[in-house]
Amino acid sequence: MRRTNRSNFRRVVFQPRTWQGMHRGAMQIVEAVTPTLGPAPRFVAFSPENVGREPDLYDNGGEIARRILQIRGRDEDVGAMLIRDLLWRLQNQVGDGTATAAVLFGAVYTEGVRYLTAGGNSRRLQTHLDAGIEVILDQLTAMTQTLTGKEKLAQLAESISYDPELSRYMGEIFDIIGAHGRLEIRKGRSRAIERDYVEGMYWERGLMSRKMIADPERNRTLYGNAHILISDLEIQHPQELLPVLEMALRNDVKSLIIIAGKLSDAAIGFLLANNKSDDFHVVAVTTPEYGKDPQAAALQDMAALTGGKPFLKAPGDTFNKVQVEDLGQARRVWADLRNFGIVGGKGEPKALRRHIHDIQKAYAHIDDPVPKEKLLKRLGKMMGGSATLWVGADTEMDMERRVELAKRTASAMRLAMEEGVLPGAGIALLECRQTLRERLAGAEETDERAAYEILIKATEAPIRTIITNAGYDASDVMADLRLAGPGHGLDIVQGKIVNIQESGIYDPAGVVKAALFGAVKTAALALTVDVVVHHAQPEQAKPLGPTARMKL
Amino acid sequence: MTDNLATQTIIYDLASSPNFADSPLCFAAGNTGLLRSQDGGRTWSDALTSLNLSEALPIASVVISPAFATDKTVIAGTSGGILRSGDGGDTWQIVEFPSPPPFITSLAISPNYERDGVIFAGTLEDGVFVSRDRGYLWNTWNFGLLVLNVLALAVSPAFAEDETIYAAVESGIFRSTNGGRAWREIPFDLDHAPVISLALSPQFAEDGVVMAGTEQHGLFKSENGGQAWEHLNSADIIGSVDAILLSSEFPFKPDLLALTGGEVLISNDGAATWRPWPGAITIDEPLTAVLAPTGLDENAPLLGAIMNQGVKII
Repeated sequence: MRRTNRSNFRRVVFQPRTWQGMHRGAMQIVEAVTPTLGPAPRFVAFSPENVGREPDLYDNGGEIARRILQIRGRDEDVGAMLIRDLLWRLQNQVGDGTATAAVLFGAVYTEGVRYLTAGGNSRRLQTHLDAGIEVILDQLTAMTQTLTGKEKLAQLAESISYDPELSRYMGEIFDIIGAHGRLEIRKGRSRAIERDYVEGMYWERGLMSRKMIADPERNRTLYGNAHILISDLEIQHPQELLPVLEMALRNDVKSLIIIAGKLSDAAIGFLLANNKSDDFHVVAVTTPEYGKDPQAAALQDMAALTGGKPFLKAPGDTFNKVQVEDLGQARRVWADLRNFGIVGGKGEPKALRRHIHDIQKAYAHIDDPVPKEKLLKRLGKMMGGSATLWVGADTEMDMERRVELAKRTASAMRLAMEEGVLPGAGIALLECRQTLRERLAGAEETDERAAYEILIKATEAPIRTIITNAGYDASDVMADLRLAGPGHGLDIVQGKIVNIQESGIYDPAGVVKAALFGAVKTAALALTVDVVVHHAQPEQAKPLGPTARMKL
Repeated sequence: MTDNLATQTIIYDLASSPNFADSPLCFAAGNTGLLRSQDGGRTWSDALTSLNLSEALPIASVVISPAFATDKTVIAGTSGGILRSGDGGDTWQIVEFPSPPPFITSLAISPNYERDGVIFAGTLEDGVFVSRDRGYLWNTWNFGLLVLNVLALAVSPAFAEDETIYAAVESGIFRSTNGGRAWREIPFDLDHAPVISLALSPQFAEDGVVMAGTEQHGLFKSENGGQAWEHLNSADIIGSVDAILLSSEFPFKPDLLALTGGEVLISNDGAATWRPWPGAITIDEPLTAVLAPTGLDENAPLLGAIMNQGVKII
């Protein structure tokens, strides 16, 4: 006879407990994130794991959701984890919009549960909610506009970050680097915010020897009209470099940069010995990036930029038959011990443009945030310049928070520059109500009518939350907005009703659309869950150590 | 000095004083130097004698200040830097660019130069240099300019408001909308590049018209600042378009002139049909540059640089 292990028993939960439990759990996350929506957000404090330490304060819905690994009550936990996943995914993909998504999710899910409890059909409701998403997205697309110029971009940054000083710098930087440009955001060197620009393309690997620095005062080497040997080869013996140097001298190459995976001390010594002539200069820098694929991509980019041919260890290339045509060329190449850069690569212009278009196309078609981020970095490098923003603040904790804010703002701005902007302060979603009302008037099925009624209510929820979070009475302000007419909203900072677009209050269209899409889709899906099956003995979420937390 | 000086010269660019009718000064930039005419192009002399050059200095581009009547500024682009004159070309100051020396292929001056002092210099390998102090200090600022071989530049007539400038390069066209601080590629068909000449409508701020002449594929027109292009197919213009001049009343008077394959053609219907410029019909040698100092009226003087024959009024 087969023995049954009690731990294999499952607990099955049916309606109405499924909706009740999941709704309670989901709303705990929604209510935890809701105070962070708008320009006057309130913090959410997480109690410290160690006694005596200060609590961690968050005003970012994605981070708040990420920190909540489990909630009390197993039915509740299922609902909570559904929205946690939505918010964390949104945070990773678009970097913002999590609070809007939480509020929208809460409104749709709450109204949906109410309707289903009264006898509605969840599948048909889901179908009509999905159709309603398209109606709203079309309406948002029609409202979308593009922003250019540093003043407008600074306004956009301020709509995202609510940090006027940071926004001024962000406006200037994105006006210069564009949506795909390279921006490094680092902790400041003082209390102030500073920025540097570097022309051309550079990588984070540098000269293989300090003795290769030609300009000790500036601690770097700069060559004009330089040739570049692109490779990831590892060179042990100086003889392996001999064909390269002979070829260079035969072809009157004046300055040569050898990019290689590794050079032995003897090989470096050999290059230094040959670097003393006034007529010929040679230095070596390390192949940038780590790992096979990122390194191959960097070498491809260099090849397109300079017109050179990469020599790779994987297919067994050597330097024995290097020809001068294989060398890349650039107007200027610079290198120090940490970085090297190329200005004015002499690659074939049409091939370079095609190469960049290919990367742009891949970037546009990838949703997975990790490879997308890598492609963005490559694109940024190829765009002909980069910026570094040094974010200062009064305390270390403020600085860390401001760096994170700058990073989030940068992500949202990139999206806004790619996909345009919408009137901010919740106005864009609010103005979709008219179209939804028209659809409601034409709806024939009960479930369809319910879907549009739910969406009309939901699209009003973000603006109401923004107003409430700022300490105003939402009903009073909404009445004032109706009197003021379309396009008007509450400028929270000034505390008055204004024309939102004329006041430069924007939201990135991509953020609003992603929040709307994710929230309504997830809520509609959650409404179709009828039964929950629990493990008999669920694994408890254990407190994470610092390393595991960093990985999250 | 007379026309004879110009006979050994290939002229790349011509420029005239903005008040040509009253002050008929013009300059011709060529492979042997810079020529100046003070009589509307009838006679020419070496403009660089004050420099006492030991050998010919090739000049590829020349521009005259829109406020020439008061500032007398002339800028000429050469290998390694620019020449700047503040006295109508009598004396010159050499402003060297950083090494390796770039070759200046094109110059463009802000229509608002009197106030902003902005001049752009396109180079063969170093992208675009910008001076914001009337040509004394120059810096490259090539963010987003992926191809640094600049073949032509065109500044918006409404530059003071829109800060827009176009750069034609081997792979297409780039545009800056922030006064040259950053560049973005605009969607010009790669197969039709290189673009070698550009012209913007005098009403650019309203009509968004950009004309682009290519090296091998004729003339293209955009009516939205370069976001979409129409290939102006014409049996008359099929190859290179080295220069495009638009009427000062364009598009209300849709006259335009094209220097194509060494010939000068005029269209009076916005590039739908073309015919040879009457004064150029009898010229056997190819033309290398044209200038309409007082507009495109057929009775107005048109300066044409003829290969190895100097500059003539045609």
